Amino acid sequence: MKLGKIAGALALSTMVATTLVAAETVKIGVQAPITGKYANEGQGIANFVKLIVEEKNKAGGLLGKQIEVVTCDDEAKAQKAAICAKKLVNAGVFAVIGSYTSGATEAAQTTYYRNKVLQTSDGTSDSLIKRKYWTFFRNSFPNSAQGNFTADYFINVKKYKKIVVLSDYSSYSAGLADSTVAAIEKLGSKVTFRGKIKSGTQNFTAILTKIKALKPDVIYFSGYYTDGGLIRVQQKQLAIDADFVGGDSNHNPDFIKLAGKTAAGVDIINVPSPDDLPYDAAKKYLQAYEAKFNKKPPSIWAVVNADGLRVIMHGVEQTKSFDTKKISDYLHGMKDFPGITGPVNFRADGERIGASLLVYTIQKDGSYKVSFSK
Amino acid sequence: MDIFLQQLINGLTIGSLYALVALGYTMVYGVMKLINFAHGDLVAFSAYVGLTVFTQFFGSGATSFVSVIIIFIVTSIIVAFVGVLLERLAYRPLRTAPRLSAVVSALGASLVIQNGIMLIWGPNMQIFPADLLPSTTWNFGGVIISYTQFVILILSAVLMAALYIFINKTKMGTAIRASAIDQDAAKLMGINVNRVIVIIFVIGSMLGAIGGLFIGIYYRALTFDMGWLYGLNAFIAAIIGGIGSIPGAMLGGLMLGLFNALIAGYISTEWAETFTFVLLILILIVRPTGLLGEKTAEKV
Repeated sequence: MKLGKIAGALALSTMVATTLVAAETVKIGVQAPITGKYANEGQGIANFVKLIVEEKNKAGGLLGKQIEVVTCDDEAKAQKAAICAKKLVNAGVFAVIGSYTSGATEAAQTTYYRNKVLQTSDGTSDSLIKRKYWTFFRNSFPNSAQGNFTADYFINVKKYKKIVVLSDYSSYSAGLADSTVAAIEKLGSKVTFRGKIKSGTQNFTAILTKIKALKPDVIYFSGYYTDGGLIRVQQKQLAIDADFVGGDSNHNPDFIKLAGKTAAGVDIINVPSPDDLPYDAAKKYLQAYEAKFNKKPPSIWAVVNADGLRVIMHGVEQTKSFDTKKISDYLHGMKDFPGITGPVNFRADGERIGASLLVYTIQKDGSYKVSFSK
Repeated sequence: MDIFLQQLINGLTIGSLYALVALGYTMVYGVMKLINFAHGDLVAFSAYVGLTVFTQFFGSGATSFVSVIIIFIVTSIIVAFVGVLLERLAYRPLRTAPRLSAVVSALGASLVIQNGIMLIWGPNMQIFPADLLPSTTWNFGGVIISYTQFVILILSAVLMAALYIFINKTKMGTAIRASAIDQDAAKLMGINVNRVIVIIFVIGSMLGAIGGLFIGIYYRALTFDMGWLYGLNAFIAAIIGGIGSIPGAMLGGLMLGLFNALIAGYISTEWAETFTFVLLILILIVRPTGLLGEKTAEKV
């Protein structure tokens, strides 16, 4: 009998203890493609978030509360993203980092807005800020900024006359291609051919043969590296004598692996890659990442998302609350937060402003060299 | 003209790959009246096996013609073994069950193989080593054909011719044809139908394995769900040619590849698939049993 009582008391006290601990945590969500085609990128985002959260927790947490990360795998699919959004909201997160693709980000956006959950994503599609949700903060730079830069590089620097623009059907890729075409036309030039490929079909020889007849100076592809590498190989195999320029999502080691020998000479347009970031915060966090995971972040996208997380934590600390509306108001007015990827400033619609873009040329040994910057 | 010929080459290359895979569907259907949905995933599986055989035996070192042949042989044997295992575990127990149960079993097997690939090799894209075959290309007045394309075209043609001779001129081939017409009668004539089915699975899986390896060597990007892409196209090729007919599968595969390339090249790249399938539906309206499919009286 006595034993039972003690056991009961013990059980009760552990219950109290666990609820106490639970009250001391605050939840942050990660929505990213942990598996599937872009697993490499999604895992990079999850890893970087883990690194920064662990550092924060060691330093005493956020306003004295330990941070708990809830991860949901959206496989870069819109349907899965919508499910993830509901899952993360139900788990009680106050902010979500992700997702990697614009499509998956857009599919989840409204759910977060309705539930007053902050969201920060690297998605570059211009449509992401169309709804002007106060919950949404883009931590990368929009397609239109990249489109303008690309057009300027093509027309004024390279003086290309015959330009072919290819994209896939995703909202990010088609959006980037469209803003590039618009920017080229604004500069008084025009595009010879604008085509779309179906991502993942592997065989692009038919459209490339069609392009060959146009004798282009340059083929610009605004899609992802999984297709970009194959397009480059097949372009060379068909002996299409044109430069190949890839949009930011081709900036991935797998592009070079896929393209093999034909990777040399390819131009990639992107924001500075992790190694080229001149900021103090960059060195510190990239070293920490390498020490913990024994490899470099897969690309800049994991790093900008890390900045998104750091900015939100900064907002919590400055406003001394977890009230997402208050944090959002603070972030919209914030000036030059020292991010890993440079100063972070947001416009009223959640757009990150102040893009700096570079052209990387892939060298024979598979390394990148900055060949143009502005 | 050179652009047109180039599109022909493009279409024939991808068409040969479809045809190799389609043979697996059509042979199994011919004898068992079963659509082996797992066949596409077996093709993906063989590309992964080929990659592993390569890295295990040859590391990332220089490749030679001999090493490529060894990869083809070892992979074909492994995949044939898995194909036979598939028949034993997923199809044989259901041989007398209603046909729909077997189809569901096939779909299940497809998912098992696909998820098996994901568990063994991981969900990330795997990349086949470059230059397994020499990266030489030949230029015939603007029409370019690469070494790999050439090998794909020639080897597929040789394999298909060999299969045609095997089915039509050998004793085993006769037994396969007999089992396709009427299994019970074949049994009464002393044909071991179980053995015929095992042989069908061995040959079908080996051809699929060779198709999968070519896909790996030619396109180089492997994803665990790629089986659906090639499986579906090959299945359609088999239907167009007349499922159950071996020359039909070859013709269907080549036609599908050619249609797609020519429509993409001359009508619209964005609508290529739509137009291809409209054309294929038209063929089926005119010839419901496929181009070379035979009209057989339903045994009711």
